[in-house]
Amino acid sequence: MVDMKGRWQEFKVSMRPRLKEYAFMLRRMRQSPLAMVGLVIVLVFAAIAVLAPVLAPPQGSDPFMIPKDTSLANVRPVEPIPPTTNHVFGTVELQYDLYYGCIWGTITAFRIGLLVVGVSLMIGLLVGTLAGFYGGLLDEILMRFTDIIIAFPGLILAMAFVIAFPQAIQINLSFMLLVVFVLASFGIIAFRPNKKLLLIVQVLLAFSLLSIFYSPVSLGLSLSKLDKVMVAITLVGWPGYTRVIRGEILRVKNEDYVEASRASGSSDSGIILRHIWPNTIYPILIVATLDIGSIVLSAAALSFIGIGAPQGFADWGQIIQSCRNWLVTPGQIFAHYHTFVIPGLFISFFVMGWNLLGDALRDILDPIIRRK
Amino acid sequence: MTSLVTYIIRRMMLLVFVLLGVTALVFAITMMFPPDVRAYMYIRNAEQTRPGVMTGLIEKYGLNDPFYLQYGRWLSQVFEGNLGWSHAAGVGGMPVTEAIRTKWPYTFEIVLFAAPLIIFVGIYIGVQAAIHRNGVIDQISRVISIVGWSLPSFWVGMLLLATVNASFHVSLTGPLTQGSINYVTSSGFVRATGVDIFDGVLNAAFFQGRARDIVVGANNTGGMAISWISDLGVSVDALSHVILPVIVIVVIDMALLIRVMRSSMLEALGKPYIITAKAKGLKKNVVIYKHARRNALIPVATLSGMLVAGLLGGLVITETVFSMPGLGNWAAASAVQVDIPAVLGYAILSALMFVIANLVVDILYAYIDPRIRLD
Repeated sequence: MVDMKGRWQEFKVSMRPRLKEYAFMLRRMRQSPLAMVGLVIVLVFAAIAVLAPVLAPPQGSDPFMIPKDTSLANVRPVEPIPPTTNHVFGTVELQYDLYYGCIWGTITAFRIGLLVVGVSLMIGLLVGTLAGFYGGLLDEILMRFTDIIIAFPGLILAMAFVIAFPQAIQINLSFMLLVVFVLASFGIIAFRPNKKLLLIVQVLLAFSLLSIFYSPVSLGLSLSKLDKVMVAITLVGWPGYTRVIRGEILRVKNEDYVEASRASGSSDSGIILRHIWPNTIYPILIVATLDIGSIVLSAAALSFIGIGAPQGFADWGQIIQSCRNWLVTPGQIFAHYHTFVIPGLFISFFVMGWNLLGDALRDILDPIIRRK
Repeated sequence: MTSLVTYIIRRMMLLVFVLLGVTALVFAITMMFPPDVRAYMYIRNAEQTRPGVMTGLIEKYGLNDPFYLQYGRWLSQVFEGNLGWSHAAGVGGMPVTEAIRTKWPYTFEIVLFAAPLIIFVGIYIGVQAAIHRNGVIDQISRVISIVGWSLPSFWVGMLLLATVNASFHVSLTGPLTQGSINYVTSSGFVRATGVDIFDGVLNAAFFQGRARDIVVGANNTGGMAISWISDLGVSVDALSHVILPVIVIVVIDMALLIRVMRSSMLEALGKPYIITAKAKGLKKNVVIYKHARRNALIPVATLSGMLVAGLLGGLVITETVFSMPGLGNWAAASAVQVDIPAVLGYAILSALMFVIANLVVDILYAYIDPRIRLD
């Protein structure tokens, strides 16, 4: 018990500089008006996303499909109507309710942004750490591979991925397991040389190899159009993170405190978890924050081309895309402005909120320019 | 100098590997499609699109073989100058190489005006913002760049189109008005470069004798007589159709350049050599423009190179909004219509642009900054 208390004291002492750092950041954040504006915008959108079932109660089985006003569609099948009491924002083509689409589109935007950034970040963290920390041939191979993907303009590669993915894919579980075990055995060799563990993994590896040849276990997975967009943007996005993370790790790994930790007998994984990641995470968080906005823009662009979310899905890009035919109505100036102005404002403010936040975070977190 | 040459050679060798990797990657993606879709990648003329011939092609090029065999065969095709058949590139389709050749001018027209505007204005604003840090210019440029960066380009384009249409009752979609299209496609007009803006001026200046002899077809409803004035009219018309796309691209793409220029300039202004220069008693402008800006331009040079390459490679969204029949519009149409050879050819083209831009920027770097080539 006493020991626990001692440890807690030790922990408190060790955490003190970090807590001081957080307090400093919060203070800086409150001083920056743009950061506060960004934070407020993001929080408002978060509130809309959380309260979506209250703000716009779902009517069908799938809440992400925008309800269609059928009685209105009987009278006026295609042409959008301007805002009325029934439809606060009016309707879009084929009488889909615009208000509902905008509210539930917020959830879609968060889902796309956070999921894609989260997965890209995790892949980037893994690959970037392996490449940066261990260097050598592994670094060369991994980085040349990321070079190839970065050599593409992102949107075009994402387009190619989206159209190439089949609706339903068969994931070969045996193969996936093989890859996992191969990675695991590399990891064991690199991080924690433990013969027993290695033996177990290699036996499993051998089994998965056998299973590939004799009876592959596969898993059927059906991807919606939006899932395909997310997978495509992730596949295009992770090399960027890998490059940033590798650069950060190269910067940190020869610092004195890493050397000191190594000299005192820490394992590689200990050094990475306790010293390298905490010191590299801020620049990566900035990139990630800024990226959420641009990812939502890319997804909207893919929807706009016509290979994103299907018609009637609560996605801002898709809603704007369906309004393209109503840009210009002869004789009626500004007749259908609401159909693309409102969802466009939603996208713009969402992206702007994240960009303001990221931009301010850069000024706050960047150790070189912040103390000035 | 020799070190620079070896540096360039080393970079070029790396470029070959990157290109091989890029093509292998896209080819691997196309392997997800069934053979009868992929057969289009080997078609050279309209004759071969008939179903009977297609099955022959699948056998001939072994489209059920393993990846590396197919990739090798396909590469040798590419070296012969055949990128396949694009069925989305106009009625009846055309070879991918032909499509790239005919669509390139429309993209070029936009980039011709957008790129210099973005680069020079962006650098200017970025430098001013850094010099007057936290001043009025800095705050305004910050807001402009964040707003510009947050706007969906297709939305800005749609707003512009609708507003221009409502206020001036003209539709500025497509490359030219219908009258000018009739005029340009009539036999009296010499399409020397394919770029309408240039061709109008060239016709007015050099092809007068030829143009006057030829009667315009009966279906010309444009009502333009052939003269140097109507030749120039084509240029003006093309120019007016380029304005809106250029505005969209400048608004969206300048934002990033301003931000990078600003932060790079701020960094340069904090360097010890600036203090030295100031301490020497140099004039403020000399310190700012000769010492700081020159060094601050290095990261901006990379960004500009990538930006121009990206623009030249196609403006997928902008061209689609404005119905410009350029490379980007074609790429978007092919993606929707699952035109594999077109997407493949387009991806390779834009990757090639990026790689070349990378090389040019690297060589420029090595030229500007001796530390890089001696590394």
